Amino acid sequence: MRYLLKKIHNDFIGFMRWKNIKGYLKGYLYLIPLIALVLFLFLYPIAYAVYISLTNFSIYHFFNYSFIGLYNYIVAFSSGVMSSILLQTLIWTVGSIAAMVTMGLVLAIILNQHGFRFRKPLFILLLFPWAFPAFISLLVWQGMWNYEFGIINKILGLFGIGAINWFNSTPTAWVLLIVTNLWLSFPYYTAVFLSMLQSIPNEYFEAAKVDGANTWQQFRHITVPVLKGGLAFIILSGFIFTWNNFYPIYLLTGGAPGISTDILTVYSYQQAFSYDFYGMGAAYSIVSTIILAVMAIVMIKYTKMLEVIT
Amino acid sequence: MISKFRAISYVKWAFSYLVIIFAVLFAVFPIYYIVIMSLSNVPALTDLSLSSLIPTPSSISLNAFYDIIFKSDFLLWLRNSLILGASTVAVSIIIALLAGIALSRFNLPGKKALVITIYILTFFPFTAIAIPLFLMFASLHLINQFTGLILAYSAGTAMFGAYMSKIFLDSVPKEYEEAAMVDGLSRFKAYFKVLLPMAKPIIAFLSLLAFMGAYTDYALANVFLISNSKWTLTLGLYFLAVTKTNTLYNVFAAYSLLMGLPIFIVFIVFQRYLTQMYSMSGTK
Repeated sequence: MRYLLKKIHNDFIGFMRWKNIKGYLKGYLYLIPLIALVLFLFLYPIAYAVYISLTNFSIYHFFNYSFIGLYNYIVAFSSGVMSSILLQTLIWTVGSIAAMVTMGLVLAIILNQHGFRFRKPLFILLLFPWAFPAFISLLVWQGMWNYEFGIINKILGLFGIGAINWFNSTPTAWVLLIVTNLWLSFPYYTAVFLSMLQSIPNEYFEAAKVDGANTWQQFRHITVPVLKGGLAFIILSGFIFTWNNFYPIYLLTGGAPGISTDILTVYSYQQAFSYDFYGMGAAYSIVSTIILAVMAIVMIKYTKMLEVIT
Repeated sequence: MISKFRAISYVKWAFSYLVIIFAVLFAVFPIYYIVIMSLSNVPALTDLSLSSLIPTPSSISLNAFYDIIFKSDFLLWLRNSLILGASTVAVSIIIALLAGIALSRFNLPGKKALVITIYILTFFPFTAIAIPLFLMFASLHLINQFTGLILAYSAGTAMFGAYMSKIFLDSVPKEYEEAAMVDGLSRFKAYFKVLLPMAKPIIAFLSLLAFMGAYTDYALANVFLISNSKWTLTLGLYFLAVTKTNTLYNVFAAYSLLMGLPIFIVFIVFQRYLTQMYSMSGTK
């Protein structure tokens, strides 16, 4: 405490020196555009969203909306919609991450094997889904999952599997969503894990071989620790990305059947822009924002981000 | 003993290649499918059969591409998308680099707090700002205009870009610009002439991010751009694929390819460098 006070005192004295002030002003000059942008297009809108979430702002009350306190939040929570949307957001995020990380890891470990031939061309082919803009691919997948005419049911038919109406039931809707999202994202995880694996110096393995370690022991004691080191960061950033990932659900199922595959970002957008309930939409987005802020702080704490920043 | 080892090794390799080949088929199939569809004369999804996956010379036609380029608003929407993309790149890169220089080179009180705030804000869902921005822009008469959208796109990229360029510039030694200042250049000129050329990789990466942000955005454009003549390629594609129900399937496929292929090619050509940058930044 005493140390902290002393530090603050010293900083203040240092800050007050004229020469420093001139330097600071110059520095802040470079930051003004960014700070202005953040203030007017991020912080102010978020504050405004909090305010809107406390009103009955909608198409019916566009010019004469009024303050209704926590009513939107109370309705959202007591109707059970909020809890099911939260649960579905979790299913979506955890399901996608589990599939993507597993596939990425398996492919990276296979590709990284010593003596694997055609690694480069095969790796480039695996990057195709990442290279094509996701918005377009999603609309293509939408047609591929079609019940009567979609190519996926036709291919399954070759193996004697009858046509499945993917969009019609909640479990199959989740399957189609997570498989499509896996297609979109596994190349990223493969690339990340592969670059981690390739960063291990070959000498480690050679030294282990000299000591008589077999392939499994090398994997267990050299490869696994390296992967573990980066896994927390990859999973956390993937978690946040998937939590916020708007397009797969918006374009593929739109939350259907009913709202049983809807997630926070999509539901909030639909409430505001499909049904014009701006107040309710804002309430959902604020709940999502609070959860993400907590996750961001966890991320900063667990991944030693601060050391990079300072 | 040795033959047992061999057998295990064969099984291992067979399994490895099998998994990779399945993954490659999974990865490539939708892209292949859309290429074939765009070249086919399959007018609707209803006429699709497995045999249409293997093209024959007689079934290949470029009609769909002709229709898209000459009989739809594709070129107009492309122009709009390019205006939005290029402006977003310009605005966000300038702001991000200025901020990156300040955060990397100046010793400022409150710097750490600012970097952390910016970093946390980049996690926020865009819906958190989409609703208030729509209402704000409506009252400022910025609806159906590019200005508002460009600012909204730039805010996101500039924040992330400031953070990324700070990290990148930290790895460039200060001695370079100090030497230039000794030679009589002003501080700003030293940054401009010495630091900027060295920051090329990060500028290229952020430009791509900024461009892609604008080029592939549907959610904000859908809210802000109302009239058909202001639409972007994404809004046009959504209209063709979802709203307008009688769109020919080969036309949709041709549109998708024309819009996506340039991005695809850039990505594949620079994949080594891009995958590195993406994995460093923790985004997709």
